[in-house]
Amino acid sequence: MDAFITASVLAFQPQSLLALVIGSLFGLAFGCIPGLTFTMALALILPLTFTLDPMMAIAMLISTYIGGASGGTVAAILIGVPGTPSSAATVSDGHALAKSGKASLAIAMATISSTLGGIFSLVVMVFSVKFLAEVALVFGPAEIFALVVFGMAMICGLAEQSLVRGLIGGVIGLMVMTIGQDPIDGVSRLTFGNVQLLQGVDLLVAMIGLFAVPQVVDALATHRNGTAVESKSVKVELPSLGYILGFRWNLLRSSLLGTVIGAIPGTSGTVAAFIAYAQEKRLARNPERWGKGEMGGVVAPETANNAVTGGAMIPMLGLGIPGDPATALILGGLLVHGIQPGPLLFIEQPETVYSIYFFFGLSYVLVTLTMLFGVKVFVQALKLPHHLLAVAIMVLCVVGSYSLRNSMFDIGAMVVVGLIGYLLQKARVPLTPILLGLVLGPIMERELRTAMIMSGDNATILLSPISLFFFGLSLLVVVLQVVGMVRAQRQKQAVSA
Amino acid sequence: MKNYTTMLAGVALCAAAGVAQAQSDFPQHPIEMTILFGGSAQTVGQVLAEEMSKLSSQPVVAVSRPGGGGAVGYSYAQATEANGYNIVWNSNSISTVYYQGNLPFDYKAFTPIARVGVEVPVVAVRSNSGWNTLEALAAGAKQRGTPLRVGVSGLGSFTHLVSAALFNQLGVPVVYVPYGEGRAPAELLAGRVDVAIQWPSQFQSHVRNGTLTLVCSTGIEKIEAEGAVPTCAEAGAKGMNITMWRGLVAPAGTPPEVVEKLEETAKQAVESAAFKKTVVNLGFTPAYLPAQEFGELIAKDDAVISDLMSKLGMNNR
Repeated sequence: MDAFITASVLAFQPQSLLALVIGSLFGLAFGCIPGLTFTMALALILPLTFTLDPMMAIAMLISTYIGGASGGTVAAILIGVPGTPSSAATVSDGHALAKSGKASLAIAMATISSTLGGIFSLVVMVFSVKFLAEVALVFGPAEIFALVVFGMAMICGLAEQSLVRGLIGGVIGLMVMTIGQDPIDGVSRLTFGNVQLLQGVDLLVAMIGLFAVPQVVDALATHRNGTAVESKSVKVELPSLGYILGFRWNLLRSSLLGTVIGAIPGTSGTVAAFIAYAQEKRLARNPERWGKGEMGGVVAPETANNAVTGGAMIPMLGLGIPGDPATALILGGLLVHGIQPGPLLFIEQPETVYSIYFFFGLSYVLVTLTMLFGVKVFVQALKLPHHLLAVAIMVLCVVGSYSLRNSMFDIGAMVVVGLIGYLLQKARVPLTPILLGLVLGPIMERELRTAMIMSGDNATILLSPISLFFFGLSLLVVVLQVVGMVRAQRQKQAVSA
Repeated sequence: MKNYTTMLAGVALCAAAGVAQAQSDFPQHPIEMTILFGGSAQTVGQVLAEEMSKLSSQPVVAVSRPGGGGAVGYSYAQATEANGYNIVWNSNSISTVYYQGNLPFDYKAFTPIARVGVEVPVVAVRSNSGWNTLEALAAGAKQRGTPLRVGVSGLGSFTHLVSAALFNQLGVPVVYVPYGEGRAPAELLAGRVDVAIQWPSQFQSHVRNGTLTLVCSTGIEKIEAEGAVPTCAEAGAKGMNITMWRGLVAPAGTPPEVVEKLEETAKQAVESAAFKKTVVNLGFTPAYLPAQEFGELIAKDDAVISDLMSKLGMNNR
């Protein structure tokens, strides 16, 4: 209890709060702008924290992380280009809502869901960090592989009209991800001896290309005048409590899913967001309307991708093992100040642990308030003429692609992926499965190959109880999917006959 | 005619003066330090850049160019003008990436500035495995009949090469399991690998918690760590001495005066109390070496790495 009081005194010091405000806003700005991510924000802010006192440094790192994880949704909803990969699942319904004049409601709901998901994961973290850190250890390469296969199976349901076209998209995504240096042997693949191609097509670069370039090309090719959204009324509308509570089961399920996926090292918020979306679509009463502006399709991914923040902190704090690049940077920042996450941190420096919890919660409060007040400003972007918005998006995308790795190659890759994406869209191949191939492909490959190496090429390693559980679920999902499709086809034929 | 000669002489003089001027005034604009990797290597590089900026009239800017095991960053810097404004935060990776066949040039494409420090891999096991010494580990592994599963950062990575050198010498059959940076300790705790070879800082909290034990460190000098870790050479692997160094290099052909200036700045930065205090927490040991000796070290280690990679069948040169 003493430590708790000490921590609260330390956390509420003016300089810590100042660091918290700076971090939140900085993270939020990076999250909002397409092409800039919170990983980048953390890398930039990290050197600044070296010279701060430890409490201020922790406050700044944690708040940048949370601000960045929450901001990505704004661009996804307003302009249909996700600010970060973890908001990609929000695009289809979020942007459709914006087009029908409900942008402010969608952003507000996304913010509230993000916060609820984040706070849920914080509570789970506070009460069970040691236990969950141990549970996360059970997930080895074979188990993570099975989990990702399950993710793929769930996501097949997202292939909007045609399963075949969806699968084509998925395979294209998987293929693109094999370009570059092989993650296991370090052998170069499909690089034609070119050193630049060794870096491969980065997920973020591909995502910017896929979502932004087709929009820009469309805007400029059609020479359409007028604003990005046809609806003239851009009125600000916030959800009522009753409206929010209408999504309580969605919120709960997505929070749980995000926290669990976040706690497993090697997965990410993007995976969690897509699985949550697919799960809620499956459970919805009107799945056919998803993708056309259902609020549930905003709530589910945004809740899950922020629940990942608390989840990812679990192995980082409990074991000193970072689950993704963002938490690895936070870990580096803590180590610089002599704070060594791991089992002993809770015994030797409980006040540090408590202050991390405080900063985590406070950041969410701050981010929510900023976003809810900011909605008014954000939606003004919709009043911009379409072609001007297109040019602005293009500039941001080029800057974002370059600054990710300071590489001109990435700008070229973004444009090439984007133009191919545009052509595929004309051929009615959906873009979401391509992105999923890009996200899940590298994890699948790495985990499967590691599992096989570990067992001396004995495939029975893939049959651990946890893996079998996920393989079973995958099979169930695919069977249900096929049955559903056949039934729908029969009904259609019956109607037409 | 006379006028012409005078003029020419004048021009030559001015040019010479200009060159001398440029070199004595180095640096006149910010210096870019290319960072090749993420994780703690990046953080240490950023700290170094900060310290060097404080000591120099111009800022030293850390710019991240990751990818291809360092190949992307090396290629970028090698193609820049050799004037000292583009330096690389390098490591033994220059040799590994070259022998993997992913880089068209080797360490000779760069001129050394200074070694900044070293990181010494350590061999860790679970405390309850009963293999708390290198001898017990080797004997236990041979007796068990199945190959030892050793967690490393990636095949062809530095930790893989170190492991190979150690276990080849001990004659222990091994399967190397590659994980991304940072995951090997978790896999060791969970029991999916028997041994993990990584940087000491990754194991520290678990060693203090009593769940993991450090068997030995691979350098010839003892490391500062919890519970007096012997060197592998002492523990039974005679002559074992491999450490990861990190330092600064510039493209070959950089004027010696410029290199000297950078060397001096690096020396002051590495020896500053602020640098030491920060990087030690990241598991990095500051160990300055001047350009000349650093160059000899790079060449010596290059030969060792070439040899090791040939033995592993990974040498593509």
